[in-house]
Parts: sequence; structure tokens; C-alpha cells
Amino acid sequence: MSGGEALLVFEAASVGYGGAAVLDGVSFAVRAGEVVGLVGPNGAGKSTLLRAVTGAARVLAGRLVVCGEDATRLSPRARAKVVAVVPQALPVPFAMTARRFVELGRHPHLDVLERPGPRDAAVVEDAMRRTDTLRLADQTVDTLSGGDLQRLTVAQALAQQPRVLLLDEATAHLDVNHALQVLDLVRSEAHAGAAVLAVFHDLDLAARYADRIAIVAEGTASEPLPPDRALDAEALSRVFDVRAVVRTEPVTGAVAVVPIVRGADVAALSRGPVGVVCGSGAGARLQRELARAGCRAVCGALNEGDVDAAVADALGHEFFRLPPFGEAGSDAEAWAEERFAACAAILVAPTPFGRANVANLRAAVRSGAPMLLLDDVTPDRDYTGGEARALAREACERGARVVASESEAVAAALALVESKEGRP
Amino acid sequence: MREQGASGTETAAPARGRRPLRPALRPASRAAVLVALAAGLAVAMVAGVAVGAVRVAPGEVLAAIGRALSGAARTADDAIIVDLRLPRVLLAALVGACLATAGVLYQALFRNALADPYILGVSSGAGLGATLAFVAAGTTTAGVLVGVPAGAFLGALATIALVVALAERAGRFESTSLLLAGVAVSYTLAALTSFVMVVSRESMHAVVFWMMGGLQRASWPWVGMLAAVLAGGAAAPLARSRDLDLMLLGDERASQLGLDARRFTLAMLACASLVVAGAVSVSGLIGFVGLMVPHAVRLVVGPDHRTLLPASALAGAIAVVLADLLARIVLAPVELPVGIVTALAGGPFFVWLLTRKERAA
Repeated sequence: MSGGEALLVFEAASVGYGGAAVLDGVSFAVRAGEVVGLVGPNGAGKSTLLRAVTGAARVLAGRLVVCGEDATRLSPRARAKVVAVVPQALPVPFAMTARRFVELGRHPHLDVLERPGPRDAAVVEDAMRRTDTLRLADQTVDTLSGGDLQRLTVAQALAQQPRVLLLDEATAHLDVNHALQVLDLVRSEAHAGAAVLAVFHDLDLAARYADRIAIVAEGTASEPLPPDRALDAEALSRVFDVRAVVRTEPVTGAVAVVPIVRGADVAALSRGPVGVVCGSGAGARLQRELARAGCRAVCGALNEGDVDAAVADALGHEFFRLPPFGEAGSDAEAWAEERFAACAAILVAPTPFGRANVANLRAAVRSGAPMLLLDDVTPDRDYTGGEARALAREACERGARVVASESEAVAAALALVESKEGRP
Repeated sequence: MREQGASGTETAAPARGRRPLRPALRPASRAAVLVALAAGLAVAMVAGVAVGAVRVAPGEVLAAIGRALSGAARTADDAIIVDLRLPRVLLAALVGACLATAGVLYQALFRNALADPYILGVSSGAGLGATLAFVAAGTTTAGVLVGVPAGAFLGALATIALVVALAERAGRFESTSLLLAGVAVSYTLAALTSFVMVVSRESMHAVVFWMMGGLQRASWPWVGMLAAVLAGGAAAPLARSRDLDLMLLGDERASQLGLDARRFTLAMLACASLVVAGAVSVSGLIGFVGLMVPHAVRLVVGPDHRTLLPASALAGAIAVVLADLLARIVLAPVELPVGIVTALAGGPFFVWLLTRKERAA
């Protein structure tokens, strides 16, 4: 994949409009056969980078090489022979037929007075067949839906038979089926030897379809890295100011990003802490709501790779880190008991209890802090041969309350935090 | 699933039936439309020559033209037909073709069905340039024949540059900013034109009547001048009709598809300004032809400029020949300026267009 010819090369390039640079020091290459994704906040300059390739933005310093030629020296026609763009389709207010619309993609290959011939017609037909737009051929583009128009725009770009394909949030208007269709098509273009540089709005689609991802932010573009390295929680927090869980989606095998909360909403966790007995993601929303209320949480012992551990990491909550599938030993339990004892309240999430996490419940009961149980521990959640249920009964005998909803549980915990902080 | 989709079954399947099909005009019907319009123009021109203070039978019109071409002896009516009415009708046709051609170009370049030389203020600019040239050049035929169109051309070019600059400042080629800039510039230029007319008293009457849109001064030299201007101004747009189609996708997209949009736009604006200047220097301000005709023709033939340009030119010619015919007979023997007729028809059409657009939006 990285062995292909570098068709698009930024060499310490500054790009922008007029004399003002939007991005500086951009250095990376897109090779034949690969898809490089660009992600970044709105207005960071992702489109500007693409527009530098099309000539609509200027290369102010450094170099941009397109198919071996300096981009600034290419005429629009020579450029359009090798570079095709799929922008977000603009409505066309004129009654042009769909076939004619796609045929305009042949323009760079035709002389000024030359009419499209049978070869061009074949290319147009093929592009429309591949984008599933042949049935629209005789309709006029001013009557089409945004999705149909977007796919025709893809067909128009394919009709250029480009070596470099640029996508500017090209799937933003498409339903999920057509979005996947377009991106599969783009992948197959890359497979056939095109170099693809694509702006993605959707991080999951970027992770799924890009071989490498560059982050555009803070006036530059980072070196493109494989999705699992480019989109780590730290980068998402820094660039997008969101706290997110990043994990490998088992179905697609691609990295998936689950934003939990905006960074600004959890900037200062100054209250609490509140204990959370959780595991397998059952406490994820409790953790989030506590963080939004500015409250720290202590999550006991959690396994590396557990969803609740990932959420706690993303939000900055405390927990005792166990190896994957490891059981909590006496050290972990002692740690949890000590931390829970300092809590104004302990929330028990409706998580299944097994031998690995029952230690957290034990520590919570022994800590003596007020407990709030989300739902009773029913037999179907108890894989400890009755120990978890016995602990829950013991907690209730000591005054723990059973609450029905997460919002009620969080509100009650915050009230306890308040009364504890209110005491001198 | 994808294999199925790729096997071409969807070609045979009917479109999913939510919108009416509007099939493209086939090459044969393209030719048919052009032939029909040419025939319509011929009929309109014969009628234009035949009707007037002295009525002439249509057959006699053709006979007189035949005699003039063959150099045979003239009858008494021949002077009216060949020296007065024929140049006037030809000039009307050329003016209409020029204005419609300009309208097609402006509408394509600005992606705006409301653009037209009159509304953009280009006609007023050409008018001011022509008026200045008219006042300065005096009455020599050569001065008027060359100086007035040249003045009009410069005025038109300067105006379109100003309007585009103003519109870009207010937010690109948006309909509203373009039209507002056009209206504002147009009023200013009209005021300047009035000022020039008042200052140069002796030529005021002639200028006023001419500016309102009249074809009274028709003569063969003017026909030759305008025919040359139309040929010069319409040839390049016709040759580059596909590039005009590309411009319908917007400047940036046209550039992405390989057109030097900026240079092309400037060249086409120069062509449009040339034909507007030619028309204005012959007949003053004739409004709305450049707006209505391309719009109506586009409804029939679609936006493909290879057909739209010649069809609009022919339809524009028909429109002005008929408007001039009306102008001559409504209050006969008094002649109305033809601009009044086109404005009377064009105002309501413009309102209809605006409301139609609003409903669609």
C-alpha cells in the first residue's frame, strides 16, 4: 500500500488565500492506491488543503507536487485531467439532464471545439452505472434530491478518470446505504491505483475507509497515521475538545469513536468524589452525569479494556487498573475500600456481578459510606453464587436506598455531596 | 447486492416515479426548433415590412425585395419597403438577437435566471457611453456609426465591472446582491445620462427619444454595423457553448473540471458587452428582452447552450420585430418607442418570475 507512487506531495507547504496562510508546514504524501483521510474541527482548513490541490487556494510557501508536476504550474485543464474533486454538491438551478451533467466530467479530455465521442459516452455510461445513477440519466438535475445529485457529482468526477481523487465531505448528504456505496467506490478507485485525499466529517467513516488519517488543526496538518494511532483519546481531547472512548469496533474491525461529553462541560471536576460500583459499561452514564455536574468519581477496580474503565479514563475519573480479565486481589479491594470511605455517596450501577468485580461491592459495603443501589441485585445479575445478593441485602439493612433511575441516583448522590461539603 | 446493482438492471427499471421525467431534447427536435424559429422570424419580418401607414401585401414585400436584389426597376412603394421598412425590421431583428444573446450569457455566467443587460445596469452604462459619444461626435455619419457604438461598448464594460465588483463585495454573485448592485448602478447612470442631456440642450430631444428605445433612425449602414457586431459578439460564445454549460455549475466547479473560469468569464462578459453596446447604440434602452426571451426559450429547449444561444437569438429577433410592429400601429400615425412596449410586457413577466422562484424555494 505504501509502495505506490507518490501522486500528491506537500513539501513544507503553506496554503491559504491572498497572502494569508491558513495552514503552514504541511508535509505529507498521498500514494497511488491509498486513501488518506483529513479530520479536524470546523474551519480548521481541511477544505483549504484540498483547494490548494485544485488551484482555488494558493501555495504560499513550500511546494505542492501533483503527479510529478509543480501544482502552481498546471493549467486548469491539465490539472483536471489528473485531479478530480467530489465537493458537497451544490444545487444546479438549471434543467440540465443528468447524463449531460456527468458528461461535463469529460471536459478536460476534449479539445475546445471537440464534441464528446463514443469513447466518452462509454466512460460516462460506466461512471453512471457504478454510481447507480443510470436510471436518472434523462431526468434534469434541478429536480433531483441532494443524495441523487451527490452521486451524480461522484459520477462526474469518475468520468474525469482521475489519478488523484479529492473528496470534500462527499458523503455528508447521503443516507447510510449511499454513503457506504460512494466510499466503497472510492476504495475501489484507490485499489485501481488512484491516490485519494478525503475530508471526513464522520470520524468512524474516516477510520473505516482511510488507510491513514491526518489531523488538521491549529494551523497545520499532522503526519498521516493509521487510524488507531491518529484517533486516540488524547488527540480527540486536544483537537476537538471532546472526551471520547476509542475502541476497535468488532464488526468492522475499524476504530470507532464514541464521544462522551464536550471537554468544556467537564473542565473542572472540583466536587465529590462519589463512588461508582460498575463494570461492562453499566456505569458509563452515571460517570458522565457526575462529570457534567463537576463531580469526581471513584470507580473501584476495573479491568483494562472494560467500557467503564475506558469511560473513566476519558473523563479523568479514578479507578484501580486491573489487567484484562484479571481478578481484583486484596490490594485492589483495600484500595477501593479506602477510597470509597472518603466518598459522600456510592452508586451501585446495574452491572452483573462476577468474581472479578464483586470485590468492589464488598469494599463499598465495608467502607461505610451511604449507598444508592440502582435496582436490586436480582439473581440473573449474580454470578457469584449468592454473595452479591447477600452484600446488597447487607447494604440495605445498613440504610442503602434502592433508586429507580439514573437521574434520581445522580441527584441523590449530589445532594449527599452537598450536605457533606456543607459540613465544616 | 452490489453485484445486482452493477448488472445494469436499473436501466430498464422505471425511474422511481416520484418526479416527472423531463427528457432531453433529441438532436432532431433541436434542429426542428431552430427551423421553426427561423420560419417564425421570416413571417414576423414580412409582417413588419407590410404593416404601416401604407399597407403593402405580403406578396408585394417579397416581390420588392426580389426586385431590389436583382436590380430591376422600382415601383413607387419600393422606396418605402426597401429604404425605410426593411432596414428598420432587420435592425429590430438584430437588436433582439443581440439583447437575447447577452441575456443568455449573463444568466449563464452569473448562474442566475434573473440576470439581463437592462437589470444589471449594462444597458444604462452603454446608454451613458453612447450619449456622451453622441453629444461629442456630433452629426457626422461616420462619427455616429463608429463613435456611438464604441462609447456604448466602453460604458457597458465599465458598468459590468463596477456591478460585479459591488456584488462581490456584498457577497459573491448572489441573486440579491447582483440585482441590487445592478439597480443602484443603473439609477446612478440614468441620472448621469439625464444630466448630460440637460446640459447639451440642442441634442436633448433626439437623445431622449433614442434612449426610450426607438428604431426610427434605421438605415442600411446601421444594419451593417449591428450585423457585424452580432457576428463578432456571438461567434465565440457559440463556439464555446460547452464551457458555458460548465459555468452553470459555478466558477469553482467549472475550474475543477478544467475551465479557466475567470478568464472565460471575462471573455464572455466582453462579448456580452459588445452586443449590448451595439443594440443600445442603435435603439437606446430596450428592456426585458434579454431577460424574458432566454428564460422562455430555456423552458422549451433546456439549458444546453449549443441550442439555447441560436434559439434565443432567433426568438429575441422575433420579439423585437413584433414589439416594433405594435409600437408603430397602436397609436398610428404616432409611433411609440419600442422600449415602452417591451417594458409593458416585461414588467409583469419579471414579477411572475420572482414569485415563481419564491414559491419554488
